[in-house]
Amino acid sequence: MFAFIHSSDLHLGKRFGSFSGDLPGRLREARHDVIGRLADHARAQGVATVLLAGDTFDTETPAPEVRRQALTAMAQHAGIRWVILPGNHDSLQASQLWATVRSEAPENVILALEPHVIELAADVMLLPAPCTTRRAGRDLTDWMNGAATPEGALRLGLAHGAIQGFSEEAVAADIIAPDRAMHAGLAYLALGDWHGAIEVNARTRYSGTPEPDRFKHDQPGEALLVRIAGTAALPEVTALPTARFSWRTLPLHLHDGDDPAEALARLLPEMHSRRQTLARVIATGRSRLPARTALAGAIAHSAPDFAFLELDDTGLATECDVTDLDQIDRAGSLREAAEALLLEAGNEALSAGDREIARAALARLYSYAQAVAS
Amino acid sequence: MKILALRLFNVRRFAGRGVAIEGIADGVNVLSAPNEFGKSTSFEALHALFFQPHGSVGGEVKKLRPYSGGNPLIEADIALGTGQFRIAKQYLGGRFAKVTDLQTGRLVAQADEAENFIAGLVTGGTSGPAGLLWVRQGLTGLEKRGKTEEEGERELRRSLLESVQGEVEAVTGGRRMAAILAATQEALSELVTATGRPKAGGRYHAAIEDRDRLAGQEQRLAGEVATLQQQLEQRAKAARRLAELDSPGERQERRKAVEAAQAAFDAAKAQTDRLTAAEAELKLARDRRDAAERDFQMFRSALDRAADLRGKLQAAEERRRNAIDSRREADEAIGRAIAETEAAEAGEQIARNLLSRLDAALRAREASARLAEVKDQLAQAEAARLSLEQGEAQLALLKVSPRAIDELQALELEIAKLRAVKEAALASVIVRYEPAAAVRISMNGEALPEAEERTYDGQTLLSVPGIGTLTLRSNHPDTGDDRLHKALEKRKALLADLKAEDLAAARARQVQAQRLEAELGELRGRLSQLAPQGLPKLREDVAARAAAAVDGPDLKEDPDQVRAVFASSQERLKHARLSQRETEPRRARANDAFVEAETALAALRAEQTHVTSILGPENARSLREQDLRTGLDERMRILADAEAHAARLRATILDLDNAEASLRRARSAEDAATLEANQLREAIAGLNAEIRTRSDEAVEEKWRETGEALAAASARLSAFEKEVAVLQRLQAALETARSDARDLYLKPVLGELTPLLGLLFDDVSISFDDKSLLPQVIRRNGLDEDIERLSGGMREQLSILTRLAFARMLARDGRPAPVILDDALVYSDDDRIEKMFDALHRQSKDQQIIVFSCRQRAFQRLGGNVLRMSDWQP
Repeated sequence: MFAFIHSSDLHLGKRFGSFSGDLPGRLREARHDVIGRLADHARAQGVATVLLAGDTFDTETPAPEVRRQALTAMAQHAGIRWVILPGNHDSLQASQLWATVRSEAPENVILALEPHVIELAADVMLLPAPCTTRRAGRDLTDWMNGAATPEGALRLGLAHGAIQGFSEEAVAADIIAPDRAMHAGLAYLALGDWHGAIEVNARTRYSGTPEPDRFKHDQPGEALLVRIAGTAALPEVTALPTARFSWRTLPLHLHDGDDPAEALARLLPEMHSRRQTLARVIATGRSRLPARTALAGAIAHSAPDFAFLELDDTGLATECDVTDLDQIDRAGSLREAAEALLLEAGNEALSAGDREIARAALARLYSYAQAVAS
Repeated sequence: MKILALRLFNVRRFAGRGVAIEGIADGVNVLSAPNEFGKSTSFEALHALFFQPHGSVGGEVKKLRPYSGGNPLIEADIALGTGQFRIAKQYLGGRFAKVTDLQTGRLVAQADEAENFIAGLVTGGTSGPAGLLWVRQGLTGLEKRGKTEEEGERELRRSLLESVQGEVEAVTGGRRMAAILAATQEALSELVTATGRPKAGGRYHAAIEDRDRLAGQEQRLAGEVATLQQQLEQRAKAARRLAELDSPGERQERRKAVEAAQAAFDAAKAQTDRLTAAEAELKLARDRRDAAERDFQMFRSALDRAADLRGKLQAAEERRRNAIDSRREADEAIGRAIAETEAAEAGEQIARNLLSRLDAALRAREASARLAEVKDQLAQAEAARLSLEQGEAQLALLKVSPRAIDELQALELEIAKLRAVKEAALASVIVRYEPAAAVRISMNGEALPEAEERTYDGQTLLSVPGIGTLTLRSNHPDTGDDRLHKALEKRKALLADLKAEDLAAARARQVQAQRLEAELGELRGRLSQLAPQGLPKLREDVAARAAAAVDGPDLKEDPDQVRAVFASSQERLKHARLSQRETEPRRARANDAFVEAETALAALRAEQTHVTSILGPENARSLREQDLRTGLDERMRILADAEAHAARLRATILDLDNAEASLRRARSAEDAATLEANQLREAIAGLNAEIRTRSDEAVEEKWRETGEALAAASARLSAFEKEVAVLQRLQAALETARSDARDLYLKPVLGELTPLLGLLFDDVSISFDDKSLLPQVIRRNGLDEDIERLSGGMREQLSILTRLAFARMLARDGRPAPVILDDALVYSDDDRIEKMFDALHRQSKDQQIIVFSCRQRAFQRLGGNVLRMSDWQP
């Protein structure tokens, strides 16, 4: 029986420049804290090995504090062995990084910088495939097929990259053979790169990032606890929650007459978790001017609860009828202006952009009319 | 809509009490009361009822509240086409709004529905603007223009059009429009300038700057990241190369290569030195062999030469002897030839002397013979001279002039011709004889031949034998020919000159003279032949010769013989000299041969001496030859040894140049490797520093961060751009709608206004442009006035008229609305006010007009329904 934790894509030092305020700092901090959480899990599960399948650092030149503090954090958990594999973001091309890391790494950090067999334990052999460059242009796990290990030893693969279509950066040339585990006689192939956890086959998995960093995957950040009874046994895999922040894409489909605030309230997560949540509400369907205004108001109202909350209402079509226009004015120039804008918003002969401008102008007119309502 | 009654409680000055104005009728209603009587309060309460929602706590509402507090309550009874209703609102505490049907007492609407009901009254439903038409004291509109409006005079000067437009806007919901437009413009003005450019310091501008700044930063960082990656790559390459260079194996190999090359070079060098020595030895051996061979050959050839010389010497001596002999012979032959020549010369001299003597004798003899000849010649010449002189004398006698003869002959012919002519004139006689006639007639004794004509002159006598004589007479007179006579005379003279008898004699003499002349010519020739240079010269010659004539020796020898002897002696001399000349070269040749023989002999002897010196004494020669032969053999053997030695060395020689080149190459490879390694170390050190700096600056993190920030900033910017577009679109839509409304309502209003204007200003006419709706001309008292300036009074009058016109328009549309005036005529003089009243009354036929005024006196004249305020408790 051999057990270890499989994680990847820590992207330490990622800065999140698209956010403002203290959120980027919090997100960075959460990434750093992943190390501690992985260690806690390891201790709790009685596991002594953590395999990091690439992209431990977000860039080839992480700030010294990022690097040092990461290594210090790992050193702090002396009972745990950390195996770090260079990924595409922190490939071996970053010689400075790896040279420094090598000189600074504590004893319990193993750097898998070469495609050579590493003995993890008696009869447990690790076959790492470090990324030589950002884009190697070949399957770096090829060598595993012919790698010699003692008879009866457990062979574990560690690699970083795409298996057809799962790539984070969609590069076609260097694809890891999905059946590498079978051909190379691996008991388990620990993969990194894809930020969501995926089971490729019984012996091959992406762990996903332990701390999500984008809206794309909509999966909670987790690490995999892998137990392997023997060379022939299938690995037994358990997901362990690791994320501090939750990145949610929330679809909000509205129908005419729906109360958007209510629908939104149903959609948004529990109040207590909102501080750790980055959410993007994707509004679709149809709504009337008041509902639309109300939705924007509700989002604006809830936003302070969240680490980040934004509304994408480009998919939301505006319904508008006489009653809505009456809210602006029953007659007169304002009414004329509102009707002209409504007509323009629905005029298929115009470009989508122009229609959207007209629609927004109408919404604005509506909100101004409400504000100056005598 | 018409207003029937107004009641208010707890409004402003009416704290804790109420007033009611009941019985508001159609047409003109006047509430004329002094100031501070509650007139304006009533007006404002009525206005609030229609325009302030019951829930409002705004300033307008708060103003309604009495100083002592309380909740204002306002109600109004109104008549609509559908019935009569009561509208009631209470503000602030216990606020409500409700509409009750006055007839049934049924609650028609309350709260917001009541507000909607009221709004429907004010704005007149969907078909167009309607509502109450209000004119306030000193104000021309209800829109919030207070501040500027109250600046007074300046505002009063606003153009007529703007005034009318303002009124129209005021009645077409312009206040909200203005507020919304203002909000739009304000929002827009925060972002862009009036010309639509991003406003400096604005958020939009800031967003653009932010985006640009981030874009610049991103680009710079991207460059730095690229540089870093390039440097990393360079360093990796350099490190790889350095590792290769520095690996002990490679280094050892380079060292080994150098050492091997050095060893090879040293060996090659030693070998080359040895070979050089061997070559030197070989050369020495070859030289010595050559010397020995030369000696031996010399000796051998000297031997041969000595043998040869012996023969040659004998021959040369023989040749010398022969030469001496032949020289002696030649000398002898020459002596003989000289003697012969001398003898021949002597003989020739004797013969020559004899011959000259003989010649002298012969010349003397010839001279005396010549003298005799010349003497004879002189004698002949003198004889010829004599004959010549005689002949010439004779000729002088005979010589006739040829011309005289010719003249004579011509004269003869003339005479003959003249005679013939004379004769032709004479009578003639011809006789024809019968053949048988034997007798011949004769004439003057002469027989007359047959058929021959005979002439006669004067008279002739014919004799006929047998018959007798016949006398013939021609009686022809003599003409006396003078010419013939003269010719005859001349002939006679000529003949006399010629001393001749007739022409024939003359001619004979001429011939004789010519013959004599020829003889004389012959004589002269003979004389000149005999004495070509004249007789005197000939005579001198004779004298000279006679004087020179001497007697020469007398020789007996035969001259021919003497000459033959001389010729033979000459021949002999020539022969002797020739043979002497022939002999002389022979001696020269003999001398040459001798010299040659002598020289050859001397040369041979010298050579013999040389050879002998080489060969040495005769008896030691074979021994010496043996020595030489032995020495040569020895040296040849040494040479062969040296050659073999050198050949061996040459065969095994290593190429020194190659070895050196190899060594150089090995060394330079090592040096280059060292140099490259050093350079690489330096480059790596340099790169290290830069990479470390950049890494420590976390440039890539910054770059990604900036990139994300840039994306966010771009998104923000596009949001701003959209915001601007939206606001601009909204602004445009609002302005378009407003200007459309102006066009829509202004024109009809103007249509209604024109007759009212005529009513009020009978001395003023205002004309409007149909298209621009601008007033074109104001004519007052027949004069055109500045359209830009209107008096305050005129302005307020226009304001009221405009509302009246508008109300009229609405009434025509079936939507009558009351016009409410609160002290609207403060600037107008009484005269105008009266006219205004006329207008109001005229209007009030189908219009409710409610007038609030403090000018009681003036408004008494207005007439109409006078309203009173009474106390009211709800």
